[in-house]
Amino acid sequence: MDPATSRPAVVIDNGTGYTKMGFAGNVEPCFIVPTVVAVNESFLNQSRSSSKANWLAQHSAGVMADLDFFIGDEALARSRSSSTYNLSYPIRHGQVDNWDAMERFWQQCIFNYLRCDPEDHYFLLTESPLTAPESREYTGEIMFETFNVPGLYIAVNSVLALAAGYTTSKCEMTGVVVDVGDGATHVVPVADGYVIGSSIKSVPIAGKDVTLFVQQLMRERGENVPPEDSFEVARKVKETYCYTCSDIVKEYNKHDKEPSKYIKQWRGIKPKTGAPYSCDIGYERFLGPEVFFNPEIYSTEFTTPLPAVIDKCIQSAPIDTRRALYKNIVLSGGSTMFKDFHRRLQRDLKKIVDARVVASEARLGGEIKSQPVEVNVVSHPIQRFAVWFGGSVLASTPEFFAACHTKAEYEEYGASICRTNPVFKGMY
Amino acid sequence: MILLQSHSRFLLQTLLNRLHNLDKTIELDYHWVEFDDVRYHIQVSMKNPHHVLLSVSLPTPPPETVSAFYGGLPFGALEAIKIAYSGIVQILDPPRDGFNLTLRLNLSKLPPDEEYRHAILVKIASVREVVLGAPLRVILKGLGSRTAASNLDRLVALVHRPKESLFLIPQAEKVTVVFPMRFKDSIDIVLATSFLQEFVEARRTAGLSNAPLCLWSPTPPLELKGAPAEALSANAGFVTIVIFPRHVEGKKLDRTVWSLSTFHAYVSYHVKCSEGFMHTRMRRRVESLIQALDRAKPDSENSKKTGHNASFKRLSLKEGRTSRK
Repeated sequence: MDPATSRPAVVIDNGTGYTKMGFAGNVEPCFIVPTVVAVNESFLNQSRSSSKANWLAQHSAGVMADLDFFIGDEALARSRSSSTYNLSYPIRHGQVDNWDAMERFWQQCIFNYLRCDPEDHYFLLTESPLTAPESREYTGEIMFETFNVPGLYIAVNSVLALAAGYTTSKCEMTGVVVDVGDGATHVVPVADGYVIGSSIKSVPIAGKDVTLFVQQLMRERGENVPPEDSFEVARKVKETYCYTCSDIVKEYNKHDKEPSKYIKQWRGIKPKTGAPYSCDIGYERFLGPEVFFNPEIYSTEFTTPLPAVIDKCIQSAPIDTRRALYKNIVLSGGSTMFKDFHRRLQRDLKKIVDARVVASEARLGGEIKSQPVEVNVVSHPIQRFAVWFGGSVLASTPEFFAACHTKAEYEEYGASICRTNPVFKGMY
Repeated sequence: MILLQSHSRFLLQTLLNRLHNLDKTIELDYHWVEFDDVRYHIQVSMKNPHHVLLSVSLPTPPPETVSAFYGGLPFGALEAIKIAYSGIVQILDPPRDGFNLTLRLNLSKLPPDEEYRHAILVKIASVREVVLGAPLRVILKGLGSRTAASNLDRLVALVHRPKESLFLIPQAEKVTVVFPMRFKDSIDIVLATSFLQEFVEARRTAGLSNAPLCLWSPTPPLELKGAPAEALSANAGFVTIVIFPRHVEGKKLDRTVWSLSTFHAYVSYHVKCSEGFMHTRMRRRVESLIQALDRAKPDSENSKKTGHNASFKRLSLKEGRTSRK
């Protein structure tokens, strides 16, 4: 038997904003780090005109630069303290954008953070439901060729988010996953563990837009934040102070009546001069998350609120699954962590559904009474890494190792084995 | 990152976290695996939140080194633990099921001084260096103090990977360390071989004249005459490193022990890095070739961009209007 199956699998969930990594069977990921790579490119841009004798020095410098990079929080710190490091974000809008950076990121995840030998462990990676098969192939190529992993499973993150709820409450693999990450928002209906691919809806508003909106609001009010730091400050403000309100007008009144209770202070240190500064945080506390419910306050191109998108998604799903889908709406991703987010979502969605039921009853003239539709938005405390947790649960089952693509298969058939995902099988 | 750090990053992070929130009672139960199959398990119970139970399991020893294990631990490990963590750590006997060593850590006994405390936690996080490197340290220490050990000129086998061992030949003036290098993948073998040759070559440059002598050979060196046959099959050759007393003076001892005991992991890490580097180069090459191809395309093809999709005829606005009439 393969000795690798006796060791826990490595579960890495690469998100646009944060990467969650750890070993299967644990309840929490070992590390949650920003998905960012700081590369030292000063070696590459050296002039080529220098003499031949210098060639060797340049060559070895180039080779050194190959290892001279950092990921995660270290990368952010390095790029702030010196100008030799350039930040690059390997994932954009939920899709891998820069494979060089991604490969380096994985390399550091495995060797520097988890410190494991990739040849010893099966790997579980995640992808968004809209990832192209080509990029799945690419992932497989890197994992099998560079890291020599004995087995690989690429899971759809929304299915994992459902699987995370599987253990906490009931054995339900039917539901709508509302995955609001940093770079992408997807509404994915899943029936009995199979993704209903044709009904997936995406929203171009995600966590990063909330950050940008908060940044914009603070800038327009003229808060004293150094411009080079303002995005990071806005992100921190979003993560610590933002919440969902039930009604904007009421919330404005509350803030105006009792500013001392609602307005928070932010203190920081200017990165360049080292001078301390402070600024107020006011309406953006509730206006930030509001972009999901009233997108028109942020963008003019996309104006459908998130509850309406979810409703449309369920309405496009097969008719026999709809009731079950309304009953189990699961939140996942860091940007659903705002206080009372699930309550607001449930209320707004319920309103839409009830209005439809009333309208259809009126159309039928009150002859037939339909059963009330149960709308239920599920939220659990591990929402932030629900996908990772689902992966950890899945990878700790003995069936997991049989479902993986193995290195032997890869060597026999090539990277095309990664094109098919067992979760999509039977749908097409 | 060029060298592997000696402390486990996750263990250090967990301990620091625990220390910062000492007043909160939370349950902790993690297990994880590091390279060379060193497994860890850490547990904090609700009842005594100040006590941390840390279990470590070591790689399965190959037959030639089994005799050097005392109670599941390598020779000298118990003494090394007692010296390194006196006062804060208690060794539990028997260890947790499936592990070689269980330590009970009392976090409330740590000194209040912030920096010193951090240093101690780093030391605890490097428990693998202390335990696995113990026999190596004993021998190198003997070399440093020039106290001729009784087992002079005898081949000593030490476990460093599951079912694999490294060999030491302690002598009065030097210690010769021999690593049989084995890799699973055929590409890895080739890369590792050339990496090791390059490694030996690099030793000859002027700046490194004080570094330990380093040799690579595809066949087992003469020193390994007495070793068992299965230990002599290595598909990436044998690396011999000669350590002199000047390499184990004072603080250098710790670093030498760590570098020697994780030499295989170091080579394997760099083999993977070079594969990644080559992939980057290949990708860049493909991109430039595609660019060249794109440039070579005749202009006429560009103008009828939609034309090659024969099954789907796209109407322009004008055509659409005329067809509707």
